[in-house]
Amino acid sequence: MTLSSCLLLSGALFLIGIFGALTRRNVIGILMGIELMFNAANLNLAAFNHFLHPGGVAGQCLALFIIAIAAAEVVVGLALVLAINRNADTVYVEEFNLLKG
Amino acid sequence: MLEHVYLIALIPLAASLVILFGFKENPRSRAPYLGIAAMLWCFLQSCAVFHRVAASALPLSYEANMEWFRLPVQIAGKAFALPLQLGVLIDGPAALMLCVVTLVSLMVQIYSLGYMHGDPRLRRYYAFLSFFTASMLGLVVSSDLLVTFMCWELVGVSSYLLIGFWFEKPGPAYASKKAFITTKLGDCGLYVALLLLFTKTGTFQISALRESVAHGYLAGAAATAVALGMLLGCIGKSAQWPLFIWLPDAMEGPTPVSALIHAATMVAAGIYLVARTYFIYLASPVALETAAWIGLITAFLAATMAIVAYDIKRVLAFSTISQLGFMMCALGAGGYAAGLFHLTTHAFFKSLLFLGAGSVIHAVHTNDMRRMGGLSKKMPITFVTMVLATLAIAGVPPFAGYFSKELILKAVYQHSPAMFFLLAAAALLTAFYMTRLIMLTFLGAPREEELHQHAHESPASMTGPMMLLASLAVVSGMALAHAGFIERLLPLSAAAPAEELAAREFPEWLGAGVSVLGALSIVLGFLLYRGPAFETAKALKRRFSGLFELLENRYGFDAFFLRLVEAADALSRFCFWFDSQVVDRVFVDGWGLLTLIWAEAAQLVDSRLIDRTVDGFGLLSLDLGGGLRALVRDGQVQEYLMYVAIVVSLFAALLLMR
Repeated sequence: MTLSSCLLLSGALFLIGIFGALTRRNVIGILMGIELMFNAANLNLAAFNHFLHPGGVAGQCLALFIIAIAAAEVVVGLALVLAINRNADTVYVEEFNLLKG
Repeated sequence: MLEHVYLIALIPLAASLVILFGFKENPRSRAPYLGIAAMLWCFLQSCAVFHRVAASALPLSYEANMEWFRLPVQIAGKAFALPLQLGVLIDGPAALMLCVVTLVSLMVQIYSLGYMHGDPRLRRYYAFLSFFTASMLGLVVSSDLLVTFMCWELVGVSSYLLIGFWFEKPGPAYASKKAFITTKLGDCGLYVALLLLFTKTGTFQISALRESVAHGYLAGAAATAVALGMLLGCIGKSAQWPLFIWLPDAMEGPTPVSALIHAATMVAAGIYLVARTYFIYLASPVALETAAWIGLITAFLAATMAIVAYDIKRVLAFSTISQLGFMMCALGAGGYAAGLFHLTTHAFFKSLLFLGAGSVIHAVHTNDMRRMGGLSKKMPITFVTMVLATLAIAGVPPFAGYFSKELILKAVYQHSPAMFFLLAAAALLTAFYMTRLIMLTFLGAPREEELHQHAHESPASMTGPMMLLASLAVVSGMALAHAGFIERLLPLSAAAPAEELAAREFPEWLGAGVSVLGALSIVLGFLLYRGPAFETAKALKRRFSGLFELLENRYGFDAFFLRLVEAADALSRFCFWFDSQVVDRVFVDGWGLLTLIWAEAAQLVDSRLIDRTVDGFGLLSLDLGGGLRALVRDGQVQEYLMYVAIVVSLFAALLLMR
């Protein structure tokens, strides 16, 4: 296992996440794509830490923090989804245009 | 007495100020008595000073100075403060001049009591007379050429005020202007000379200057330049050729003023200044020679002009010019004592002649001698005194003019025989035209019966001064020339030309010959102007009408100067035209127009090109923004995200490709 294979894996993971976020109509799917992108970033942090500073733990710590923040973010996101679902009676993003300026 | 000699100049000044500000204008004003009292005091004090100077065995020279102010100057980069002095310097010439000026002024002031009786501006007249005399006395006593120059200009101003005393008439107004401007022309030279003198020697003080010259600090070209500049000032003031044109016109003033100007206060100043700075002239033979020739030319030309004049005062004016020429010539020829001696005697008989002329004019109310004639019986005192003065000016022994004129002729002969003969001719002409004046005015038959009927002898206030001056005109020459007194009183400051003077012996027969010829020219004048209509002279005039016309036109000098003034006028008019039409129109206005056009063009470029460009960029970005916005479907979060992803990947691609 090398750094470049780890980076390729995380890049693939990021692309899958962004593809999901851009193409899913369902808000829940978009949130899941976003989670995948988070995790690609986490994987990068852990890989760089492991290969470039083998003795250090800063990357892993940052990854742990990001996992915690991602959990909090999902909570907020799901709460928003519920609120939208209650108001607009839908989970499809193309029917949301409240941000229209 | 000598310690308070400054009072002689200050008392008339104070008197004139008191008269001017302390009295009310009134034909019966008592102001004249104040002026006369002040002048009497000055005369007495001058006599005392003269006595002191004359009694001393050595030529006494008294000097007292106080520091006036310090003049900051820079010499070779170092700052100095040169002290300028205010003081008096009394020597032989100054003492003599003091007596002459105060005496003539006193006589004129007493005479004016009668002559100006009832004039509405009597107070003004006496204030100016006192001021005139004060300026002249200041000039005489001053030990400093700067103060002398100030007094010199004050004399000019006072003469302007007095010649133009009847300023409501156009003649006096014109004459006063002419006198002032003409003398100013000469003063330019004097001013430049003084500046040059100061830069060369660093002092204006006469005694210090004398030492500078003695040590040779002022010599050669510099001395010549200074002397010639001063000579120019004296030519203007003493009415020498070619600046004599103002003096005949100055006759427009009151006659006593003419007497004052001609005898004591104005024209004497020029001769006196030459005498006062004679040591500078001695350092420059060129300037001496110039002075001699100018005096000679003046003496001769003015004498010829006097022959044809019919205005009694103008004859006297030309005579004055001629006599001043004698003095200038004498000074130039090295006859220092002779020039000043003649200045003194001339002051007596010329003031007397003017006072006599004034008395005649007072009686017949005209200046034209052709309308007089036969006045001797009506005005015996005037007649007798005038005849005495005429004998004096004609150089008949033993009257005053004989002594001084003989001294002058002697000095000039020793300088150059050629100049002597021309000057002797001028002396003969003097005798002739003065005889003519007496013949036309007093002798023969009255030519205008009405004027003759009303003529009367003048009051005692006028005849009194005339009689006193007549006695002086008779005896002053004899008294002053007695036992070489005048040469002892007026010693030549330097012995430079003395050897040269001794070189040529003046033959006795030459002096006697001049006297005989003078007597002959008196007889000639008597014969020519005999009879009521002086037929002989008229025939002569018809015969030589061209010559007479030339003389009556004063050799065209007046016309020449008038043309000079006209030329200057035309030049200034042209300059004005050039300034207003060419400079103002083309350069100033044209430049403004050019600026205007340029500004319009710039404004056009600014509004059309630059502003439009700025606006265009704004509009372009507005349109661009609007167009881009139209591309985007509104409110679709995923679309926004897609754009972000595209842009980020583009940037990432750019980074990677670098």
